Amino acid sequence: MLPFTYAVRNLFRDPSRLLQTVGGAGLVVFLLMTAAAFNEGMSSVLSGSGSPKNVILLGTGSEESLERSEVHLEAEDIAATSVKGIEQKLGRAAVSGEITYQAPVETESGVKEQAILRGVLEDALLVHRAVELETGNFPGPGQVMVGRLAHRKLGVAEEELATGRSIRFGDATLTVSGIFAAPGTVLESEIWFDRNDLATLTQRDTLSAVYLRLDQGKWEDVNVFTLQRNDLELTAIREDRYYEKLAAFYQPIQVMTWLTAGLVAAGALFGGLNTLYAAFASRIRELATLQSIGFTRVAIFLSLVQESLLATLTGTLLALLVGYFWIDGTAVPFSIGTFHLDLSPAVILTGVAVGILLGIIGILPPVWRTLSPALPKALRSQ
Amino acid sequence: MSDSPFIKIEQVSKSFQKGKATITPLENLSLEVPRGEFLALMGPSGSGKTTLLNLVAGIDSPTSGSLWVGERELTTLKRGQLTKWRASHVGYIFQLYHLVPILSAYENIELPLLLTSLSKRDRRTRIEAALDLVGLSNRATHRPTELSGGQEQRVAIARAIVHDPELLVADEPTGDLDRESADSILQLLSRLSKEHGKTIVMVTHDPRAAEAADRTLHLEKGKLTR
Repeated sequence: MLPFTYAVRNLFRDPSRLLQTVGGAGLVVFLLMTAAAFNEGMSSVLSGSGSPKNVILLGTGSEESLERSEVHLEAEDIAATSVKGIEQKLGRAAVSGEITYQAPVETESGVKEQAILRGVLEDALLVHRAVELETGNFPGPGQVMVGRLAHRKLGVAEEELATGRSIRFGDATLTVSGIFAAPGTVLESEIWFDRNDLATLTQRDTLSAVYLRLDQGKWEDVNVFTLQRNDLELTAIREDRYYEKLAAFYQPIQVMTWLTAGLVAAGALFGGLNTLYAAFASRIRELATLQSIGFTRVAIFLSLVQESLLATLTGTLLALLVGYFWIDGTAVPFSIGTFHLDLSPAVILTGVAVGILLGIIGILPPVWRTLSPALPKALRSQ
Repeated sequence: MSDSPFIKIEQVSKSFQKGKATITPLENLSLEVPRGEFLALMGPSGSGKTTLLNLVAGIDSPTSGSLWVGERELTTLKRGQLTKWRASHVGYIFQLYHLVPILSAYENIELPLLLTSLSKRDRRTRIEAALDLVGLSNRATHRPTELSGGQEQRVAIARAIVHDPELLVADEPTGDLDRESADSILQLLSRLSKEHGKTIVMVTHDPRAAEAADRTLHLEKGKLTR
């Protein structure tokens, strides 16, 4: 084996080449880690938003979109009394008829952005168990309760949606009555209205959906109910399945994320490879000399792998540091909510694996160019 | 010195394809070199000198014929076996020294010893002896860029002899040196042959360099002429 110091010192032969290789590797790792964090964050928030114990009753034909769904107001009470196995709390059935709406709201500073609005009554807390009031109180008439990430969705400072501040929706001005958390779900980006307020402001006389939280009951029981009461024109879907469908809808975005990151990374990769190629090609004679001394091609290859891994793993370390200080914990808004970019163990592992693969696979073409010529020819090269 | 030649070459030919043409740098060449001889090979460019040197050093393999060095018939060895054989039996001295620029003189000389099972201490002893032999004990920590051409070639010679090979091959070892340095290198090679019993095959264009050898052979178009 060639000494490890040979690999280390080779790195510093040409500092500009070293910078290019480390920078190229770091950029590739950073982009792919960001893509992994993006997709993991989006998948995680979508899969975390639905509970298998919750069933959503939607208007038939609107299974793909809560906003387009229309459910008769009386469906809430009928479902609460007709479906068996609904969870009860303090004598109240965990049933929540809600209005979901997407529309622009305006903050006090004049920022007007699209927001996800949900009209609810207090029973909503029996169904959406992830929701916890952090400060203030549940919204009454003329009030709204905002998710703690709603400010990210609107692109405003957190203080703009603090308790006591106000927002404008249509012609109405509503006061923020409280802030709620719903960790790992899309609900955290929503603005919750008093249901009657939202019905008035949107001029609706129907609900978007009725949520049921089951205890002993199963989805099949709810489905039978929708079939028995076909006059209500309802479709039952498990909440987790609904979000699975949504996740499938967002899959092209995730593919595009990988593709975009992959394409930019490929550019950086080829830049880095070109640098490595030039670095190794200038050493054909030296490596041939080592062979003439008696070092096998395998020993030389391993030394080159060490050298390459040192560069790419340094780039990986830099990418991890940049990721830790720059993207870890960043909230990214998307159409139905907000998710966090996290440097999770899986994301870190992706980065390290990419760094290792770059170090090994990346040097195969230059190593082939360097070690494949016949020894007499290689010894004569300049 | 035993009766059997140290190097025995019988009807060796070497040819290779260059485009559509077949080039034959060596054709049915036979040669014997006794152990401890300092042999100079002369001839015009393209006469096959370096090809012959590479065959003897196990760097290249002949197309036909047989080639013995010591007890070993090189023509039967595969690439990997040849590499191992070179590690312990050959020291190669190049015209342009071929030192590794990022390593010090000491570390360059140490390279062949890294392929042995010698301890670090034993390696140090050997390297110091080699440096002493080439007169560069005070240059051990210098990198090639900090040495003159003559000194670089001395380091290259120290690297070639440090693992005590029986055979030294030198391809134009004085070709890039001034007269004074060249003479000093030739004296060193002569000493290695006479005092240390090394068999040396040296390719040279320089008649004065050839004079340092015990015998000089001339090659022309792949054949020995005298």
